[in-house]
This record gives sequence, structure tokens and C-alpha cells, in this order.
Amino acid sequence: MTQLSSLAVVEAHQLNSALPSQIQTLQKNAQEKLSTLVVPTRKTEHWKYSAKRLGDLSLLSNNSETVSTTAFVENAIYIDISAAGIDAAALSEIEESGLTLQAFTQLSDEDCSAIIELAEYERGELEQINTALFNDGLVIRIAKNAVIECPIILNFVQDEAGLTTPRVYIELEQSAQATVIENYAIADVDGAFCSSQTTALIGDNAKLTYLRQNPLGSAFRIGGTTRAILKRDANFESHILCLGSAMARHDLHVLMTEKGSHCELNGVVVTKEKQHYDNHTEIEHIASNCTSEENYRCIADDNSHIVFNGRIYIHKDAQKTLGEMNNRNLLLSNSAEIDTKPELEIYADDVKCAHGATIGQLDEKEVYYLKTRGLSDEQARQMLTLGFVLELVRAVPIASLAEQWEQTLSELLSFKD
Amino acid sequence: MLDIKDLQASVEEKQILKGLNLEVKLGEVHAIMGPNGSGKSTLSQVLAGNQAYEVNGGTVTFNGQDLLDMSIEDRAREGVFLAFQYPVEIPGVSNLQFLRTAINNIRQHRGEGEINAAEFMKQAKAKIQQVNLDPSFLKRGVNEGFSGGEKKRNEIMQMLMLEPSLAILDETDSGLDIDALRVVADGVNALRSPDRAVVMVTHYQRLLDYIVPDYVHVLAGGKIIKSGGKELALELEEKGYGWLGLEDNAESEA
Ligand SMILES: Nc1ncnc2c1ncn2[C@@H]1O[C@H](COP(=O)(O)OP(=O)(O)OP(=O)(O)O)[C@@H](O)[C@H]1O
Ligand SMILES: [Mg+2]
Repeated sequence: MTQLSSLAVVEAHQLNSALPSQIQTLQKNAQEKLSTLVVPTRKTEHWKYSAKRLGDLSLLSNNSETVSTTAFVENAIYIDISAAGIDAAALSEIEESGLTLQAFTQLSDEDCSAIIELAEYERGELEQINTALFNDGLVIRIAKNAVIECPIILNFVQDEAGLTTPRVYIELEQSAQATVIENYAIADVDGAFCSSQTTALIGDNAKLTYLRQNPLGSAFRIGGTTRAILKRDANFESHILCLGSAMARHDLHVLMTEKGSHCELNGVVVTKEKQHYDNHTEIEHIASNCTSEENYRCIADDNSHIVFNGRIYIHKDAQKTLGEMNNRNLLLSNSAEIDTKPELEIYADDVKCAHGATIGQLDEKEVYYLKTRGLSDEQARQMLTLGFVLELVRAVPIASLAEQWEQTLSELLSFKD
Repeated sequence: MLDIKDLQASVEEKQILKGLNLEVKLGEVHAIMGPNGSGKSTLSQVLAGNQAYEVNGGTVTFNGQDLLDMSIEDRAREGVFLAFQYPVEIPGVSNLQFLRTAINNIRQHRGEGEINAAEFMKQAKAKIQQVNLDPSFLKRGVNEGFSGGEKKRNEIMQMLMLEPSLAILDETDSGLDIDALRVVADGVNALRSPDRAVVMVTHYQRLLDYIVPDYVHVLAGGKIIKSGGKELALELEEKGYGWLGLEDNAESEA
């Protein structure tokens, strides 16, 4: 067993002295906690299927540089985040009424209180690593009643091997609205490891639309946690495009802490060759009268491996909860593997909760129908396979991004000759 | 153009078609009527190439070729079109997406070039309006959440786009309101021409007021047991199937 704290990258880490003292304390505590955590193995809870994909973490170091990326959504605000940190000067040039962007290093100790409080929810190895090691973080704050029309795009850039630990804190005040897109631009090289953490605090009646995409890869590893804390009548909508790489892991944790909140989680997962993708989602219904809806669709081809672990946890006070989780999976090859595990834990009595998970092949009736219109067997199967995931992509609220996802997926799922 | 001889087909070990004969010439419209479960859909599906039905006897010649030997898609490309009794819902794939591929396949089969994108859109919009569906149906998943009548109209829309030489309509009139029936009938009549043929399965004489058939056949117990002109449909409407001696047929089955 290898202690996480004994990893070279952890030992070599120096706290950023420009960070507010409260955050430095948080990080020191996290580093201490690492000494009780070991590098996950098959036996580690929640790492059953993915531990062997982690690679040799002892080789990781913290040494990436900034590269620039190109724009891909019109009228968007772009923010590059790299291991080198957050460019505070660049942030200050972005002017948008109701939107405040800051680096953690620019925060006063009072400004940090929510960040420190919400760190209470943190768990899991990747998240601990992020908290112990991040160099700086980004704060996105949307003022009361402000509706930010242009999407805020976070470009997580990593152009070489090493560990990066991007950290983001988003806060929407009462009745605020915003869209945040996380784009991961990671060099596809051995030993590149990105482990991000994003926490969003969504105020009363506020709405966050969250989109996340990572590139297809064969060598890099990516892990990330997204946590959304919903207040009264808050709304969280997420759309995630998961393309496989050597190890890809995303933990999505939604806490519905006050009455009347709603979340909708959509995920499309496609893996090929020897790729891997592991999604762990958990929706905690803590308060009553909240609704959640989750749809994940996965397609595994070749020798790839997909894991879906979806949990709905309904606390005892969460009466009148409506929860729906649906996970559908398509296996395109006999040597691909999909492990799906929906979990329901219900401690309230007046709830409506449904979950379903299927693993299958294409519906032959649909294949037949398309062939009677003159499509070849291959064309029909390809169209249906793509259609299986496009159903969810069509729900992506930014048209140009939906088109790009559709394009990416149709290239990815077009059959080899 | 279509010559069916002594066709026998079974599904899940159950013999459904028991020596069916039917000849359809270019330009003709044939109506097939008959009791529930007599094999009308089985015949339609066998002609379209559904592998769930096993053909265990007889021949089907289509424009001089052995139809039963052709793949499903080649039948479609040669001009066979089946409007399903129960159209399949395909969420995620839109009419626009698959029709374009379908049309291009058919054109390629005929040695023609691909359809130009603007021209395709123009046609698709015209045809969807022709069957009285909102153009938004073009982008929705095929038949996804369509009402029963909308699905039937969508089948006709596809037929109008693909311009088949042999259209087989399996109860396309069932579940339609009066206006929709008109729409469907107008669609079929628009396609009617000396170089096409139509075979329509129906339970109702009403459709035949709008699409006047050249021949009416009664399919019962897996065979065509009576054929006649359009007046046969009126007679059936009045007397039912009993007078044709169906009971005997059912007995001989048992
Ligand atoms: N896939 C199938 N599996 C089992 N039995 C089938 C299948 N398809 C058809 N049958 C049976 O074959 C018989 C003929 O069915 P068919 O659908 O051809 O009748 P039909 O004449 O079209 O009836 P209807 O007027 O009700 O549409 C019925 O008894 C039916 O139950
Ligand atoms: Mg039928």
C-alpha cells in the first residue's frame, strides 16, 4: 500500500504563500489527511473498476506550462487556467455587469468562509489531492438577480506530463443565472494527470447551467469532482460529454439542501480502443419537495471500459421528493465492458423515485425499419448508435456547442471501413 | 411487376401464409381485405424482407427479379416501400437525417448523383406540408411521441419522398380521422401513375371511396380466397366475411 502523502508530487509541494491564511490552513489539513489515505486499489471503495487505470502516480510532478486554446463558442468569456495559476490581471480585464472574477490569492479571509465551509463535503482521494495541492483557484461570483447571458468558458490547459489541480468556486447569489463550460485541453502524453475540483453554491431561485467536456485520449489521465449545493428553489442543469482516455473519472455530487430545488444531470459517455471512463454521481435529497432527473447514456466499443455508479440518497426529511435516474448503455463490441450500478437509499416515506439501467445492443426492429427505407445495415446501425446519444446532446442549451458535440460524436461513431 | 405464386410463410413455427397467389401489374391499385390475424401484415412484411418471417414455399417475382433473394435495402432501392401498420419510433434519429441517406442510396442505385442539400430540404418541407404535419416533425426523432394518426401521415410523407414503384400500405387508414384519411388518400393518389403500383391493406371500404382500387382481394386463412372489382368491398362491408365460407376454412385449419 502506498500512502498518498508519500508521493513525490505531494512531498515536493509548497504552499502558495500568496493564498489567504484560511485557505493555507485548509490545505495543510488536507495534506495531513493524505497521510491516512492510500493510493486506491481494486479494494478501495468506489475504485473497484478504475484503480488499475490510475497508473504510476509516483512519477507525477507539478510542472505544466500555459498554452493558449482557440475559441469555440461565440460571445463567450474565456478564462485559461493552468498549473502556473490564474492570471489575475487577465481576469480584471473581463467586464460584465453582475459578474466578479477573482483568483483565490486576491481574496480576503472573510471572502473565503464559504469555500472553507463547503470543503466539509469533500471526500475521496482525488478531491483530497486537489485540496492539498492546488496552487491557486478561481472564484466566479454572480450578483443577486444578475443574468449572465454569455457562457463563461474555463479552459483547463495542460500541455505536458505532470499533475495539475485546477480549482474553481462558483457562487450564484439569489435569482442569479449563469452558464459555465469546463473545457479540458490536456496533452495526450503518458504521465499527464489532471485532477480538478469545482464547487458551486447556487442561491435561492438561482440557476447554474454547467457543461463539461474533455478530449479523447489514450495516454492522459483525468479525474475531477463537481459539487453543486442547491438552496431554496435553486436549479442546476448539467450536460457532460465524456470521451475516454487512459483513466477518466468524474464524480458529480449534488446536494439539495433546501425546499423546491431541481437538478437535471445529463451525461454522454463514449469510449473506444482501450479507453476508460468512470462516472460516479450522487444526488442527495436533503430537503423536501425537490426534484432530480438524471440521464446517462454510454457507448463502449473495442476493448474499452465504462463504469456508471449513480446514487440517489434521500434523507429522512426529504418528503415529497421526485427522483428519476436512467442509465442506458450500448456495447458495440464483445470485448468492451460496461459496469453499471444504480443505487437508491431512501429514508423518507413519501417519495417517488425511479431508476433504471439497461445494457444492450441496438433494437433490431429499428435497424429493420431503416433498412426498409433503403439504408444499408451499416448505415442503419451507425445512425441508431449516434441517435442513441444525440437524444441527450439535443438538450444542450448552447446551440453551437451542441453542434460541435454532435460533430465530434458522429466522427467518433462512424464505422471503420 | 409483382407476381406472387403459392407463397408460404411462417412465424415462430406457426404457418401463416398457406399458398398465396397475387399478381399486380404496373399502374394498378389492389386492395387486400380480410379478418384479423389472417396474414395481411405477414404478407406485407415478407414482401419488405422482415427476417422474423420464414418463407417456406412459393416465389415472388418483382420486375423480373427474385424478390425473396434480395436484401431488405435492395428491395427498397428497387422501389418497394412498406408503410407499416405499426411504425417504429426511433428517438434520436430524425426524418431529415435518414431520408437524405435513403434518397441518396436509391439515387446511387439508379446511377444518379447525390441530391443537393437545398433541393432535399425544399422537397422535405413540401411533402411534410402535403401530409399536413408541421415542419418541426422533420427534425424530431422518427415517430417519437407522434400520435397514431401522425405516425401514419409520416409514413405517407416518407413514401412521397422516396417515390417507390410499389407502395404497400398496411392499414395506413386505421386510426385516422376523416381529414387525415383525405390527406393520406390524396398522398397515395398523387403517387398513382402508369409506372407505379399500390397494394393497400385495409379494413374499411371508406378508404376505397377515396382511392378507388382496380381489384379487391379477400385474404383469409393465409390465402386469397376471393378477388373482384371495387364492388366486392361494398359487398364485404354489407355482409361481412361469413358468407365466404370462412368457418370452413378455420375448421380445416384445426
Ligand atoms: N412476430 C410474430 N410472432 C408470433 N406470431 C405472429 C407474429 N407476427 C404475426 N403473428 C401471428 O400471425 C398471424 C397473422 O398475423 P398478421 O399480423 O399477418 O395478421 P393481419 O391479417 O395483419 O391482422 P390485422 O388485421 O389484425 O392487422 C396472427 O395470428 C398473429 O398473431
Ligand atoms: Mg395487420
